[in-house]
Amino acid sequence: MKRVIVLAMVAALGMVMAQGRTVNLLWSGAVTGPTSDVGGPYGAGIEDYCKYANEQKLIPNVTLNCTVRDDQYQNPNTQRIFEEALDRAKPAMYLGYSTGAMLQLKPLINEVKMPTLPASAHIGLIDPPNNQYMFLPVSSYSEQVVALMEYINRTEKNAKIALVVNPSPFGRAVVDHARRAAQRLGQTIVDVREVGGGNLDNTALLRALDAAGATYIIHQNVAGPVANILKDAKRLGLDRKIKQMGAVYTGGSDLIRLAGDAAEGYLWASSYYTLDENTPGIALQKQLAARYNRSADILNSTNYTAGMLAAAIAVEAMKRAAQRFNGRIDNETVYQALIGMNGPNAFKPGFAVSTKAGIEIDFTRTEQTGAEGLRVLEARGGKFVPVTDPFTSALFRQVRNP
Amino acid sequence: MIDFVQNLISGIAVGCIYALAALGFVLVYKSSRVINFSNGQFIAIGAFLAYALAVWAKLPVLLAALLSMLLTAGLGFLVERVFLRRMVGQPIISVIMVTIGLASVLDGLMYLTPFGSGNFTFPQFLPQGGLNLGGLSVSYPQLLAIGFTAIFLLLFGWFFQRSVLGVSMRAVADDQLASMSVGVSVQRVFALAWAVAGLTAAAAGIVVGAVSGLNQDGLIAIGLAVFPAVILGGLDSVPGAVVGGIIIGILQSFSTAYLDGLFSQIGLVGGGSQYVMPFVVLLVMLWFKPHGLFGTEEIERV
Repeated sequence: MKRVIVLAMVAALGMVMAQGRTVNLLWSGAVTGPTSDVGGPYGAGIEDYCKYANEQKLIPNVTLNCTVRDDQYQNPNTQRIFEEALDRAKPAMYLGYSTGAMLQLKPLINEVKMPTLPASAHIGLIDPPNNQYMFLPVSSYSEQVVALMEYINRTEKNAKIALVVNPSPFGRAVVDHARRAAQRLGQTIVDVREVGGGNLDNTALLRALDAAGATYIIHQNVAGPVANILKDAKRLGLDRKIKQMGAVYTGGSDLIRLAGDAAEGYLWASSYYTLDENTPGIALQKQLAARYNRSADILNSTNYTAGMLAAAIAVEAMKRAAQRFNGRIDNETVYQALIGMNGPNAFKPGFAVSTKAGIEIDFTRTEQTGAEGLRVLEARGGKFVPVTDPFTSALFRQVRNP
Repeated sequence: MIDFVQNLISGIAVGCIYALAALGFVLVYKSSRVINFSNGQFIAIGAFLAYALAVWAKLPVLLAALLSMLLTAGLGFLVERVFLRRMVGQPIISVIMVTIGLASVLDGLMYLTPFGSGNFTFPQFLPQGGLNLGGLSVSYPQLLAIGFTAIFLLLFGWFFQRSVLGVSMRAVADDQLASMSVGVSVQRVFALAWAVAGLTAAAAGIVVGAVSGLNQDGLIAIGLAVFPAVILGGLDSVPGAVVGGIIIGILQSFSTAYLDGLFSQIGLVGGGSQYVMPFVVLLVMLWFKPHGLFGTEEIERV
């Protein structure tokens, strides 16, 4: 009898060993609620990449337990979800979401030394204090906006620009950097306006900006409000006088669907490849969307690409942590793996454009932005096509901390 | 001058959307003295039903819109039967709490559907652009809002003044016990009020969807944005809802046109006064004329 029990225990142990350990990865974001047009596809990207990582055993002998939680864009929910995760099953890495919640959680994230990749690209997240464990997957909103201003400067000197931003820390993030960049470029910021969702009519706004002499509007927002402004500009005939453009969450397939023809000519700063490009990341995105029965809307969304990129960075960091630290995957080893992801060890999953040096994703202890390359794309014939090669904004580095 | 007139027209157009959204709110209050905090959810449900019928069932958009208005009216009727009928005679605060709970339940149910996340657009059913006359412009969805509001205003005006049911609704609003004593079916009146509120909410949702696309939070937010309009116009006045809505719309348009620019010049980022001004008006109104411009002033004798 004893022999049977011992054999059973050995068999059970063997099965556990064969299955390997479980490592936790947490994402909380707005699957529902405000900005869920971004959060829904973003979360789906993380979920699908995690399934793929487990199926392909991307981290040998490790089962990835990806927890995707809906915080409904409510900071208290995000905080509760994060604290619960710390108490119950400490994740090796945290994939965050909104600007507000991430700014609120910054001190706690620093205290518990949790490497964090937020969906928000607010530069304040990687600025001191409490910034050591924060990493942006792609270039910041501020850099995207400054890059657009540099793009304007290529064709028109001394341009008059209006900023239209979301009434939130997410929207306001870019204003100071844009003002400083305008001074250096000889441009004028003629007005800064805040516009949120539910902007049923933008006639007064557009006429006021036109009267102020703006010939360019740069948006830092989500697609919905921008689409309404584009439609009204077209109706008022101001689309011929004012060129509109915006940072990463303003554009993509959602904007084209919401604004229709009015989106034509809209310029969009983005680090991500589009669905029309043949890169390993985009091929994987198509393959996973088909395998996990995602709708066309999700497949076409850049936010789905963005979610996959965040998950891919996390999985790669865990894999490298296991290799470097004898299979130990926790917040500390993952942090070390992340800050070692540079030079010849940079990561190239093919979701985002590379810089001129050929680097797609790299991090160091002090350089906490992953994909530093970005392009300007233009809406043409119902889709966004790149109109520049990938570049980084040299000016942004000057205006970031003057 | 042309800018002023354009801003006025745009404000009136947006105000008509608010008025449309406020009508259901006023109808429920007028008949039952219940403040319906789930008005925004009815707006969202009506709009999403129209979308589902138009896109998934592939019905023509106008037919889908009509059916969704009827279905949302049915939902209003059902909600009254299931949740509110048993509240007749209960303290008003209890009934209000029921509508807050109802809003939460409807929110949760919508989150379980594909509409809980993302943006949706109706198939094109109106011409693109808008009507341009002498340098003035109104979009076609805004014209639809103005049309809907005018039709509902006329219909309700006739209904409350001339029809037996309308007079019964006013009587119930005035005194439930007295109405029952003369044979008015209070339950029937309540059910009808909720059904008509559902119908107008759906109309508002469809118009908002045509103007700016469908997004659950955006649609629900319209339901809350009408509070200043109904407080301004008077909680129990149908013409008041329309006038209040239009005043709020104009105020927002003028704030964006004239105040935000000033704020920007003195270094305040963004202005955003269009979000604040309606609530400033609401506060001022509550101080000086708490029953609104057209609301019934109740005199309570101690």
